[in-house]
Amino acid sequence: MAVAVQFSNVGKKFRRGAVHESLRDLLASTGRRIIGREVHNKRPTFWALRDLSFDIAPGEALGIIGPNGAGKSTALKLLAGILRADEGTIHVNGRLAALIEVNAGMHGDLTGMENIFLTGAIMGMSRGEIKSKLDDIIEFSGIGDFIHTPVKRYSTGMQARLGFSTAAHVSPDVLLVDEVLSVGDVAFRHRCEERMREMVDSGVALIFVTHNLEQMRSICHRTLVLDGGQNAFVGSPTDAVGHYLKATMTRVGEMSYVDNPRTGKTDGRVLGMKFRGADGGEVECVRPSEPLTMEIGFELDRDVERLTVETAIRRDGGEMMVSLNSRHQGITFNAPRGRHDVRIELPAFPLGGGNYFAIVRLWDADRTELLAETPYKFMLQVDDEGKGTGLLTLPHEWSALKTIEPMLANQKQSVDPAPLETCP
Amino acid sequence: MHAASASNPFSELIRYRQLLASLIWRDLRVRYKQSLLGMAWAVLLPMSMMLIFTFVFTRAVKVVGGLDITMPYPLFAYTGLVPWTFFSASLLGSVNSLVANRNLVTKVYFPREVFPFSSIGSAFADFFIAGSVLVGLIGYFHYGTRWTFVPTTALAFVPVIVLVQAVFTAGLGMLLAMANLFYRDVRQLLGVAIQLWMFLTCVVYPIKNDGSWWGIVAVCNPMTPIIKAYRQCILEGTIPAGGAFVSACVTAACTFVIGWWAFRKMSHKFAECI
Repeated sequence: MAVAVQFSNVGKKFRRGAVHESLRDLLASTGRRIIGREVHNKRPTFWALRDLSFDIAPGEALGIIGPNGAGKSTALKLLAGILRADEGTIHVNGRLAALIEVNAGMHGDLTGMENIFLTGAIMGMSRGEIKSKLDDIIEFSGIGDFIHTPVKRYSTGMQARLGFSTAAHVSPDVLLVDEVLSVGDVAFRHRCEERMREMVDSGVALIFVTHNLEQMRSICHRTLVLDGGQNAFVGSPTDAVGHYLKATMTRVGEMSYVDNPRTGKTDGRVLGMKFRGADGGEVECVRPSEPLTMEIGFELDRDVERLTVETAIRRDGGEMMVSLNSRHQGITFNAPRGRHDVRIELPAFPLGGGNYFAIVRLWDADRTELLAETPYKFMLQVDDEGKGTGLLTLPHEWSALKTIEPMLANQKQSVDPAPLETCP
Repeated sequence: MHAASASNPFSELIRYRQLLASLIWRDLRVRYKQSLLGMAWAVLLPMSMMLIFTFVFTRAVKVVGGLDITMPYPLFAYTGLVPWTFFSASLLGSVNSLVANRNLVTKVYFPREVFPFSSIGSAFADFFIAGSVLVGLIGYFHYGTRWTFVPTTALAFVPVIVLVQAVFTAGLGMLLAMANLFYRDVRQLLGVAIQLWMFLTCVVYPIKNDGSWWGIVAVCNPMTPIIKAYRQCILEGTIPAGGAFVSACVTAACTFVIGWWAFRKMSHKFAECI
């Protein structure tokens, strides 16, 4: 069995508009049709998903990302058998468990324990199976003594934990997870991630739909980007996130650039931002330890005596990483009307591996007026060669004190960029 | 095409029997939690109906002499009301079962028949409890009045009647649940229809086929021979013979087959249309 799940050219269409909501409407429209008043009133259809093909091997974790309405949930529902495809075929080998909405079957009047049995049955577990895993489930959920309390008195997080814990103990061959991990506290989320990794390691094929890109990247081997119901990209999670964000940011960019409420009038425009590597060539991807130059091109419609330029960089997950403002370095530019370029030189870019997005703002320092602002659309990838996760890549060196000798794989292994500049 | 929907309906349903049991159990738990009398309600409802109709027909309207029955009226009414409550509660539960479980219908896959079936299952539990009270009632009238109870082997036929009724109810329940999913009016209509249906069935008074339109309705209505059969087997000691019960069996089987066929044919649309 080489393939756990196979999608071949799958398409699903929906009708726009509502179905007849009441019998009265049906009778009325049937009546009209009989009289002949109403010629074929076929409601238009649209394809929520079209021509989607992919497959997953046992023990593989596939992430699915994409903007809202891209067809992610439709794909999962097709896979789970809740919807039926209008085109193409779907093959699932083995038992499938869907963590699409783990609390769907819960009832507030029943106790936690009773709900475990109910949810378990809904997920397809037998009573004996649930009984044998009961202690594990309760322990995993961390509900403790509240297990005999009706679920309606639980907090939302506790309910979600109970649901996920039960679902996480189904032993499926294929596991679908849709955005269920966003609830629950940090500790529980970690446990869930661990559990999912364990399951994947033991040969479960995982399909993970999420908007939490960081989490997706830490779990999945491969990622599919859906856009407008179509397969837009398949590849490594980092590349896929890059592709997705670039597409979204540009789209958002085009929208907000036209009518940015903050700028209103247009006294200037940012024309572009380029990243140059150590050799001066333009790059899209850098090593954390290597020098980096950023070039910002812009155009002004009037003379600005004291212009300050700012760029801010976010990580793909959304964290603001750094803001570089010329005014903070005590620098303003005397810029006449016309086209200009400024340059920022960094001895290193010691951030963690991932995708980064930059914004540019131009300020008139005298009037503290925003002249132009771009969205987060300038992308730069940092390749840390898979050395670690986290926000930063810090230069450091390992050694031992007297009692043990460090065994070196090579001569010397340390990330050694130029010293960091301190912020003024 | 799909692993889950390709297998045959029977084996799929067997695979999900524990889910069916869990849902029935959930219905019962939830219904009787936070209620003082709990399961006693299963008896109290048909019992109070029996008292009401006894009052109506023996004190208020005084037609009992003309009703032409061979047993005490309370027994007659109770043996009609208990299976009728099973029937009406099953249908009223089924009709709403898909819509009430919208969360599950749109989020989790399993055979959708489980929903109407579980409504019938939980109504059956009530039926069973209310039915066992009949033993006490029979004892009361046996020792307290001139009427005597003669136990016969016909009692063994009761499970067959229950089965016929359950099959008929399940077929109708699937059709109604499905119809209500597309048009919510069905539930409102059913509320009225079931009232009317009770009076077209020999639940609280006997119905004779005298050739009038009334009698024809009674013949076409499979619930009349079913309810009549309960009384015959339990109180009169005879196994229902003749065409009426057989035709009720046929109607029940046909309703079930058509209901299930239509239900399965449409079930892939449920998640979209609900």
